Amino acid sequence: MDVTRRNFLIGSGALSLPLLLAGCGFVPRQSPPSSSGTKTLTFTTWGTDAELESFARAITAFEGESAGVKIELNTVPFGQIFTNVDAQLQAGNPPDIFRVPYYTFGSYAGRDQLLDLSPHLESGFADRFTDAAWAAVQADKKPYGVPHHTDTSVILYNKTALDSAGITSVPTKLDDAWTWEELSQVAQTLRAAQPEGTYPMAYNWQGNGVTRWLSLLFQADGRFLDEGLKIPTLDSQAGSAAVDFSASFFAKNFVPPNNTIKSSTFASDAWYAQTTAMVWSGAFAIPDATKTLDFEWGATFAPRNIRGGGDFGGNALVATAGTANPELAAAFLDFVTNEAQMRDFCQSASLLPTRRDLTESGTAFAVRPELAPIFLGQASTVRPEDSSQVASAGMSKIITVLQDNLESVFAGATSTEDTLKAMAEGIARAIGGSA
Amino acid sequence: MTTGMAVRSAESDLLRDPVRGGSQHRKGRRERVREGVAGWLFLTPNLVLLGLFVIVPLVWAVFISFQETDGFGAGLFVGTANYQRLVSDPLFWRSAVNTLLFTAIVTPLSMAIGLGAAVLFNSVLPARGVFRSILILPMAISGVATALIGVLVFDENNGILDNILRFVGLPAVNWQSGGFAAFASIVLVTLWWRVGFNMLIYLAGLQGIGPQLYEAAKLDGAGIWGRFRNVTVPLLGPSSFFLLILNVIYSFQVFDIVYVMTGGGPQNATSVLVTYAYDTGFVTRDQGYAAAIGVVLLLVTFVFTAVQWRTNRNRDLVE
Repeated sequence: MDVTRRNFLIGSGALSLPLLLAGCGFVPRQSPPSSSGTKTLTFTTWGTDAELESFARAITAFEGESAGVKIELNTVPFGQIFTNVDAQLQAGNPPDIFRVPYYTFGSYAGRDQLLDLSPHLESGFADRFTDAAWAAVQADKKPYGVPHHTDTSVILYNKTALDSAGITSVPTKLDDAWTWEELSQVAQTLRAAQPEGTYPMAYNWQGNGVTRWLSLLFQADGRFLDEGLKIPTLDSQAGSAAVDFSASFFAKNFVPPNNTIKSSTFASDAWYAQTTAMVWSGAFAIPDATKTLDFEWGATFAPRNIRGGGDFGGNALVATAGTANPELAAAFLDFVTNEAQMRDFCQSASLLPTRRDLTESGTAFAVRPELAPIFLGQASTVRPEDSSQVASAGMSKIITVLQDNLESVFAGATSTEDTLKAMAEGIARAIGGSA
Repeated sequence: MTTGMAVRSAESDLLRDPVRGGSQHRKGRRERVREGVAGWLFLTPNLVLLGLFVIVPLVWAVFISFQETDGFGAGLFVGTANYQRLVSDPLFWRSAVNTLLFTAIVTPLSMAIGLGAAVLFNSVLPARGVFRSILILPMAISGVATALIGVLVFDENNGILDNILRFVGLPAVNWQSGGFAAFASIVLVTLWWRVGFNMLIYLAGLQGIGPQLYEAAKLDGAGIWGRFRNVTVPLLGPSSFFLLILNVIYSFQVFDIVYVMTGGGPQNATSVLVTYAYDTGFVTRDQGYAAAIGVVLLLVTFVFTAVQWRTNRNRDLVE
C-alpha cells in the first residue's frame, strides 16, 4: 500500500487516540492483579520534597518486605488533588490509597467512598495513636483511615521586633502560655512601638485554614457540633468569646487589614516580609522559614483561655472502598504508621506524629529541633472531642459557613450575635440538622 | 468568478460529448462522494473531541442541575428546586451583578484601549514592533501566572503599587481589604492581560483597510477624527463584532484572575458566577446547585450572543 499523506495522518491519528484517551483518564487507575502475580497499589498524594522523599523511602521498605508487591506513587499538586480524586471516584477508577486532610476526610468517609479498615486491622491497632488522632479518622465509630501525622498552630515571633518593643521573654512552658488577655497586652505593646504599616501579628486562617480559627473556640472550651455531631452548638458563650476575641484583632489593628479569611496574602508572607512581628503557624513552615528568613526568630505556645487548645491539622491516609486489594492496602497503611516510618516522616518534614509513643518520647525535627517541644506541647492540648468535630461528615460545607461569616464579622459588617446565629443556621443546613 | 467560468466551460464540454459526458458525470459523483467522505473523516476527530469535552459535559451539567448531589453515587432528582433556590440566594445575585459589572467595564475598556493602541501602532511610529510585542506579551502568560503577578503588584502590605504610592507620599490603597479597590484591581489586571489581544485583532483589521479610502476621505475634507469615525470604525465592524462576543464570553467566564487574586473577597465584593459555582461544586460539594449556576451562565451568554448576532449590522461589513 502506498503511504500517502492521508494514510499517514489517518494511521497516526488511530495510533495516538488511545494514548490521548489514556492521558485524559479514560483508563483504569486502580491496578488489578497482574498476570505475573505482582500486586500493585496506586497511591495518590501531594507533598513537599521532604514528604515525598519520605514516602518514597517507606514504599521502598514496604516493597522490600512484601514480595510481589508494587506501590505506584502518583504525585499531584495540592490545588488539583481533590478534583482529580473526586472525578476518579465518580468515574469508578480511583486510586487505591490517597492522602486527605482531616477536615476533608469526613466528606469521603460519610459518603461510603472509603474502605472500612476494621476487618483488616489487628486488635489493639488503635492503641498506637493518640486519642485525638484516632478520633479524627472515625465515621460511625469505624476507622476509615489512619492518622498519618498532625500539625497545629503556635506563635512564631521575630525576636528583634519583640525586643524593640521591650518584650524580652515569651512563655517556654505550656502551662505558662499567654492567656488571651496577656496576648492582647503583648499585641498592644507591639502596636504602640511599631511604625505605621507594620502590625503585631498575622493569623493563618486563610482559605481552608479557617479551621485554625477553631483553636480559639476550643480555647474558650467551646464546640461547634454537639457530641453526636448532629446539632450545631456554636451559638454559645464560648462561641461569642471566640468571635469577639478574633474580631478584636482587626478592631485594634493587631493584624493587617488584609489578614482576612479570603485574602490571597498568606499570614506567613506578611511575617516573612516583616510586616508583622508574630504569626500563627504550623510546624510545616519551619524548613522554609529557616532557609528564607534572615532575622532571628523563635516560637511560643498559642494562648489559652478557659483551657489550652489548638486546631487539629495534618493528614490521614485512606484506602478507597472499591480497592481490589483491601488487605494489602490496609497492610500498607499499617506499615507507614509504624514507629520507624512515622519518625522518619515527621522528622524530615517537620510535622507532628500521631503515635502515642512518639508523642510521649518526643521527636526532633531535622531543622530547628529545639522547636519540636513547643509544637508537641501545643498538640497535646487537642482533645479527641475537638478533632472528631473537624473530621465530621459535613465539615466541607461547614468550612464555607465559617469563611463567609467570619469574613463578615471581621470587616465589622455584622455583629457577633448575628454572626453566631448565621453560623449556627448555616452549620445546621450543612449537616442537615437543626440549629 | 474564475470558478464560475470553469464550471460553465465544463458544462459545455459535457453537452458536446454525451458519451464522455456520462462517464465524467459518474466520475464526478464518485469524486464528490469521496470528497464528502474525506471531509467527514477530517471533521471526525474534531467532532469526537467536541462531543466528548463540550456537548456531553454540557448535557450532563443540565441533567445534574435538576438533582441534589454531592457527586458520589446517584443524585436525588429535585426538579427545578436548584433554580428556585437561585432566585432567593443573595450570594448568587451578588455574584451575578459583579459578573455583569465586570463585563460592562472590561469589555468596552479593553476594546477601546486595544483600538487606540492598534491605531497608534499601525501608524509610522519608531520601534512600533517593540511596543506591539510588549502589549501582546501578557497573552503568552497563563491566567493564573498573570493573577500571581497581580498579587505581587496589588498586595497592600508589600505590593509594588502601594510601595510606590507610599514612596511618593500618597496614601496607600486598600487593594485587598476594600471592596471597591479589590474590584478595581481585578479590572486593571484583566485589562493588562486582554488589551494585547484586542489590539492584535484590530491591527489585523486595520491592515485590511486600503489607504485610498483615507485619501478619498481626506480629499472630501475629513479631518483625523472624521476619518477615524467614518472610515476606520465602520470598516472595523467585523473585528469589533468578533471582539465584542469574545470579550463578553470571556468576562462572563472570568475565574482564574479572581480566584487567585481575591478569592471572591473581601466580603464577596469580587465574587463572580464562576468562582461561586466552583466553590459550590468543589468546596461545599453541592454539585447540583453548582450546575444550575453554570446553566444560568450558559443561557445568559447564549442569549447575549444571539441578540448581538441579530442586531449587529457591521459584522459583515467589508471594504
